[in-house]
Amino acid sequence: MKNWIYIRRSWQLYVLLVLPLIYFVLFKYGPMYGVQVAFKDFNFFQGIAGSDWVGLDIFREVFQNNDFFKALRNTLFLNLLDIVVSFPAPLILAIMLYELRIAWFKKMAQTILYIPHFISWVIIGGIVLQVFGTQSGFINNMLHGFGIQAIPFLSDKYYWLFTYLIVGVWQSAGWGTILYLAALTGINKELFEAAEVDGANRFRKIWHISLPGIKTTIATLLIINLGNMVAIGFDRPFIIGNVAVRDFSDVLSTFVYRIGMQSGQISLATAVGLFQALVGLLFLLGANYASKKLADESIL
Amino acid sequence: MTESMLKKWARPALAVTLASSLLLGACSSTTKEETGSGDGAASQGATTLKVEIFDRGNAPAGYTITNSYLTNLVQERFGDPNNINVEFVPVPRSEETQKLNVLMASKSEVPDIVFTYDSGTFNRYAEQGGLTDLSGMLDEFAPNLKKFLGEDTLAYGQYKGQQFAIPGRRLVLGKYAGYVRQDWLDKLGLPVPQTTEELYDTFKAFKESDPGATGGRVIPFGVSLAAAQYEPLLWSFIEPLTEEQRYTLTQQLGSSDYPTLLPGFEDGLRFMNKLFNEGLMSKDFGLDKDKKQLWQDMQNGLVGFYTEDAGELYFSANGGYENLQKNVPGAVMTPVDAFTNSEGKHAKPAYAPNAMYVMIPKSSKNAEAALKYLDWMASGTNLFDIQYGIENENFTLVDGVPVVKADATQEAKDRIYNFGDIAIIVNGKFAGDDVKNESAYIAQTPAAFQADMRKSVEISNVDNIQPVRFDHPIAAEAKYGNALSDKFEEMIVRLTMVKPDQFDSSFDSMLKDYMASGGQAILDERTEAYKAMSGK
Repeated sequence: MKNWIYIRRSWQLYVLLVLPLIYFVLFKYGPMYGVQVAFKDFNFFQGIAGSDWVGLDIFREVFQNNDFFKALRNTLFLNLLDIVVSFPAPLILAIMLYELRIAWFKKMAQTILYIPHFISWVIIGGIVLQVFGTQSGFINNMLHGFGIQAIPFLSDKYYWLFTYLIVGVWQSAGWGTILYLAALTGINKELFEAAEVDGANRFRKIWHISLPGIKTTIATLLIINLGNMVAIGFDRPFIIGNVAVRDFSDVLSTFVYRIGMQSGQISLATAVGLFQALVGLLFLLGANYASKKLADESIL
Repeated sequence: MTESMLKKWARPALAVTLASSLLLGACSSTTKEETGSGDGAASQGATTLKVEIFDRGNAPAGYTITNSYLTNLVQERFGDPNNINVEFVPVPRSEETQKLNVLMASKSEVPDIVFTYDSGTFNRYAEQGGLTDLSGMLDEFAPNLKKFLGEDTLAYGQYKGQQFAIPGRRLVLGKYAGYVRQDWLDKLGLPVPQTTEELYDTFKAFKESDPGATGGRVIPFGVSLAAAQYEPLLWSFIEPLTEEQRYTLTQQLGSSDYPTLLPGFEDGLRFMNKLFNEGLMSKDFGLDKDKKQLWQDMQNGLVGFYTEDAGELYFSANGGYENLQKNVPGAVMTPVDAFTNSEGKHAKPAYAPNAMYVMIPKSSKNAEAALKYLDWMASGTNLFDIQYGIENENFTLVDGVPVVKADATQEAKDRIYNFGDIAIIVNGKFAGDDVKNESAYIAQTPAAFQADMRKSVEISNVDNIQPVRFDHPIAAEAKYGNALSDKFEEMIVRLTMVKPDQFDSSFDSMLKDYMASGGQAILDERTEAYKAMSGK
């Protein structure tokens, strides 16, 4: 009865909430109907309902596939490197930006840092080729000018890792600062003033005020990132990757694309997708639990 | 946050969207999408025939993909007299297989005529029972088409004895020719290389003397990761085969035969490895899937020799030779047949005489009209008019051979801008008979290049290695084909780039991986199939 009063009083808000609800039901829950394909021998012409159940056969096939394990290994490996290398980058950038005192320079720096986020990966792929190419790339052309041997940034798998990480940082670090900057703005200014009165220098202030002030944000983002350990974006490894480095660049998303979309083995692709979602859930819960124990911060 | 959320959902979402697109497709049977038909003049009670068409996003001003001179021609000449409303259903060229899969699964939305180049896709549809069996209908509804295609070509559309597809007829069967910088040879006083050894010496000389004065950027042997660049080299290393070897050891992945298990393949790769490590080859060929870098290098006068689809260099649409001569005055590119095998022959692969698989889905209620449409296309001058346009505006007849007018107006050119995508029963321009076809093919290039063009076509037809086909598809090839052709590419790139002392061990481990990923299954099935075939 009491609930009904809430609804009556602010029904407009509830109506607004209906839209996202519809979105989730229609595009996130509805399609889960298709997950059953992972347990069926999917036949295009008999549809989802008409295909035969095959139990766990599809999963058996997935786990017998060498390429699947390679893709899984690469996904974890690239994501781990990303957390080590790319995760701290926006944090450091945000703190540096926050310390800037000249307003126009700060704005300009922010804009320049954001821009790569809005560039399509396809275009970034073109830029990468122009910059890192062995024969025609800008860097190797310069090295050639100095008489230095060309560096195979894109075609040697270890150099490729470096290229992959650098490009990732360049593309996303600026955009990643937004959350940290918002959190930093939320810190009580009086703390900084008090610290100044006490004679704390800039690094002391960062260490004792800024960082603890955004601890929650850092933990939250870390949890989300860890939850994504088995999930990996499609564009970046697909576009920056190439045949020569497939040993490292073939990840679960590109694997699913290859066997699902290109080879038409829908059941196999769905099974891999389902597997990924489940393992992702475990990672997320695990990271959340650890964070709760260690830092008393959690998002669930 | 948005970025993370996106990432977070990206994986499960793919599987889920995949499934949902199928689901939504299945549910949307009531919504009828009205695509532009020929001229909308169809009367009451007319049948609507839906025909797939590739959308390359290149419709000229004034036309749309579904409403152009050609779609109107189809409607007027075929649709109106038969009381059929021909409706073209655009499918983006770049994602045709994916889109086709979704269309096929939706049943009600699928066009009456669909097509694909991919034999694996065709076999899968046929195997899953999604296609109309045309065996008995061809004689009745499409006699002209049957005559036009011929038994040889038609056989490619059969699946276990049933005619599930109508394969387009391929007119130009030769694939490749080599091209060498004649002006560089002349400058160094070298002969045109006629054998693989001579070619190697030529590469060495190009590298050392840099006759093009490129400042050390010379690429003696231009390569990309496209078949046209590595196939002529690799196949020339294949040893002469017995019939049994040809059938059992060849691996058909997708539409082409792959030499992975054939004797000599390893030697071919070792030769490529040697060329790469001696700096005689394009360094970034592994990144160059679409030949873009190769063509750029070639047009900038850096490439000494390369192999390519015969004649690609000369077509104005590509502008290859024209640009080279513009960038490097005095540059001369000569067609050459340089790779030789152990018997001294210029062995190189050729196309099978079939092109696209044109299919009528089982769910189509208009199979008869669909066949009539294809038959209409093969009758009279219809195909010719679609491909060549209007006499004296698009082409002129010289000795009965249609020659495309170089100075045709833009309006005339726009008229037949996508003739290849309408004329689905043929690959290449059909001028009447084989001799005329070849003349017409050569006549497409600018007059100044036609002698070289003719030579290129001749080279492409020398010592051809024909594709090997069983009378039924190999199931393992349909299943593993895509994954294995990726592995094949990986082998080529990595084994070419590996240090020479690691070549043998790398080759062994990659071949092992290839075999374990389906290569062995294909080999076993082909061996079985050969036994069954020769036992008959």
